[in-house]
Amino acid sequence: MATTEALKVAVQEAIDRRGQELIEVATTILHNPEPGFREQKTSQLTARKFREFGIPFQDGIALTGLKGMLETGNAGPTIAVMGELDSLKVLDHPHADPTTAAAHACGHHCQIAMMLAVGVGLKDAGVLPELAGRVALLAVPAEEYIEIAYRDQLRREGKLEFLGGKPEFIRLGALDDVDLAMMTHTSSSQTEHGKIAYGGTNNGIVAKHIRFLGKAAHAGGAPHQGINALNAAMIAMSAIHAQRETYRDEDTIRIHPIITQGGIAVSSVPADVHMETFVRGKTIEAFLAANQQVDRALRAGAMAVGGRVEVTTLPGYLPLQNHTSMLDIYGANAAALVGESNITQLGHRTGSTDMGDVSQLMPVIHPYVVAATGTGHGSDYLVQDYELGVLTAAKAMAMTVIDLLANGAHHAKTIKADYQAPLTKAQYLSLMRSMFEEASYTE
Amino acid sequence: MATITELKAQTQALIEARSTWLIDVAKTILAHPEPGFQEVTTARLVSEKLHELGIAHDTGLALTGIKGYIRGGKPGPTVAVLGELDSLRVPGHPHANPDTGAAHACGHHCQIAMMLGAAIGLKALEEQEALAGNVALMAVPAEEFIDVQYRWQLHQEGKLGLMAGKQELIRLGAFDDVDLAMMVHTSSSSAEAAKFALGGTSNGHVVKFVRFIGKSAHAGSAPHQGINALQAAIVALNALNTQRETLRNDDTIRLHGILTSGGASVNAIPADVRYEGRVRGRNAEVIADANLKMDRCLRAGALAMGAKVNIVTIPGYLPMVNNQPMTEVFKRNAAQLVGESNLATHPPTRNRGGSTDMGDLSQIMPVIHPYTTAATGTGHGADYIIQDYVQAVINPAKAMAMTVIDLLAEDATKAREVLATSSPTMSKQQYLALQDSRLTEELYEGQ
Repeated sequence: MATTEALKVAVQEAIDRRGQELIEVATTILHNPEPGFREQKTSQLTARKFREFGIPFQDGIALTGLKGMLETGNAGPTIAVMGELDSLKVLDHPHADPTTAAAHACGHHCQIAMMLAVGVGLKDAGVLPELAGRVALLAVPAEEYIEIAYRDQLRREGKLEFLGGKPEFIRLGALDDVDLAMMTHTSSSQTEHGKIAYGGTNNGIVAKHIRFLGKAAHAGGAPHQGINALNAAMIAMSAIHAQRETYRDEDTIRIHPIITQGGIAVSSVPADVHMETFVRGKTIEAFLAANQQVDRALRAGAMAVGGRVEVTTLPGYLPLQNHTSMLDIYGANAAALVGESNITQLGHRTGSTDMGDVSQLMPVIHPYVVAATGTGHGSDYLVQDYELGVLTAAKAMAMTVIDLLANGAHHAKTIKADYQAPLTKAQYLSLMRSMFEEASYTE
Repeated sequence: MATITELKAQTQALIEARSTWLIDVAKTILAHPEPGFQEVTTARLVSEKLHELGIAHDTGLALTGIKGYIRGGKPGPTVAVLGELDSLRVPGHPHANPDTGAAHACGHHCQIAMMLGAAIGLKALEEQEALAGNVALMAVPAEEFIDVQYRWQLHQEGKLGLMAGKQELIRLGAFDDVDLAMMVHTSSSSAEAAKFALGGTSNGHVVKFVRFIGKSAHAGSAPHQGINALQAAIVALNALNTQRETLRNDDTIRLHGILTSGGASVNAIPADVRYEGRVRGRNAEVIADANLKMDRCLRAGALAMGAKVNIVTIPGYLPMVNNQPMTEVFKRNAAQLVGESNLATHPPTRNRGGSTDMGDLSQIMPVIHPYTTAATGTGHGADYIIQDYVQAVINPAKAMAMTVIDLLAEDATKAREVLATSSPTMSKQQYLALQDSRLTEELYEGQ
């Protein structure tokens, strides 16, 4: 029987043999960006690669998601390795789709490539029979919580219940047979030092879609007959800002609305103004409390102008917890690849990810590879080092899978046995559903 | 028996003879400004001067008001000549009281002097047959509706019913024996080109006394435990500004106010923030509508922060109606004094934007409220200075005395004609009921 170290070396070599091909997967996706729940081309590319690599899979999960499966032939836990299919929308990103503004300004294109690299590496290297359990390879849609109106429409049509990919995967049972999960996100040298960063926590969120309803009237001829919904929105935004001093530092509250419709014609009093916002915080309690303050502010805006506000609150993502023992294993592999001095331990991050949801149900890690320059979600966010962004990231995860599933999956079984999930799937679903609210206020 | 022309000539001469004395009265008051219902020194001065002129009078009406009489030799209507006792508060005005900020930035000090001047002119006609009826000389408190919290407190202590001078004097019955009334206000060359400006109207208003109630907490270490009443006020005032596009130009709405308390210490979350405001408009209907908007915004501020807001709406002034026939009489006398070309007559629809409680009186009896242009600068501003005391005191005194003569001479034919052709908008009882209905208090809890 080969040593764990030998298995790891074999997998690294297997990944390197397909290095060019795997990086091309990433750059192909980079040039075909698609926002969440619209990732048709990206999904098809992933399916084609699964087929080429001889990895059985299901597709069409949560509209565009895929789930491949590697069997070791030996009984044991299932580890999921995930990649995210979707792009952001960033108007002036150099790789933005000129029609849709879709752009991979968050590096997800590398994630699909690294997920495939883990799969094909383990398979090509022939190490699977040496392991116990299974490796699920998940291409998950819609991690970026954007286009809320579009997704809410899908929800109303019954095509979705939750607006993020992983919550949908959980709801649909795609993670029912998964025991541990991991994925690696890219990061920028502007944000992190070194090459690989891991650990820490993330904010959770609720998402809101808001409509201020007033009354249209000629803005010059008869403004007194109108009710200005844009003014309602402005008052509400001022009122939201007025809450900020009440946020505790440790709750890391973030509220950042955008107006997606601010009026139709400049000569008409705006009567239907649309706003989207997130309410983020470090704990579920903190962001739910801040959400109540936001609701008050929204109602105040409508009240002040004598209008109406319809507030749809949608469950977003839960705070992320990284599993400590899994991190230790991952950290050792990462250090072996890039050197101890290139490793950064993370604290709390104020962005959000639906990997947080998964982390409420099972042991999870969500490290970063620092392969980009520029600002995350900005037009200058460019992956510069594809070797690190795809291949090294994949190797670190593949090596971690080997550590977890080698020796009869000893580590994975221990982690699973010692783990106390914050939520069961049923509790998770009921918590998420409790955050859903549709309310209309006229006061 | 002397003709009206002779009576007027005599009256003018008497006033002229005392012009230095009268201007000194105005300047003395200018140097001792006192805001409404606190005009103790000013009232004492008026009382002394009336004594000196041998005019019997009552004091302490509506706290500081004074009312004296010159009775004619024959029965007839009573014409009131009014002057206002109170100052504004305009810190920075060159004549401001350094302690209180009180300042005569609206020229009321001249009004008292001109009322005394009219008294000097008319005193000679006391108990003369030439005068059919009486002249009531009234020094009235508190025309400027300021110090709202102070007045609300006086109201709650039962010391005031209505919270401005003429309003309260009406309520107390001081105008029950008055049939017609007049006063002259000063104006600035920045507002009026003519020496006398007649006619026009003014806005009515309601007055707001508002308390935003939050919860104090350490602003550095525990702001999350506080509820910021100042933020509630700021949200409310921003909201109020967004209403402006919905206000019709024709309605001459004015929404304005001051924060009288914006927090107690900078390191504590403000928990008690106070706002005194005004909702003005050309008639009761548009004022009520704008007031709904004001209230909506005040509540919205409280709702946004989870604070409370206590909104007291105090009955303010009613729009001014200048009596047309009386205006004509005054105009002829003013023309005699300054020449026809120095007069401006505004149509009844011309709204000055500001408000006066003479408007309240004008709803229940024939009234005129002309302006004499004797100042430079901006009304209620730190640069409002009376420059021409002859035009500010002596000419208006003469014009009013002459107008009284026109009204009450010859068996008060003119006054009776004015009364017969005028129909007050409402009775005193209706007025009091209306004002009573406009007084409301609401505690809104935003949550």
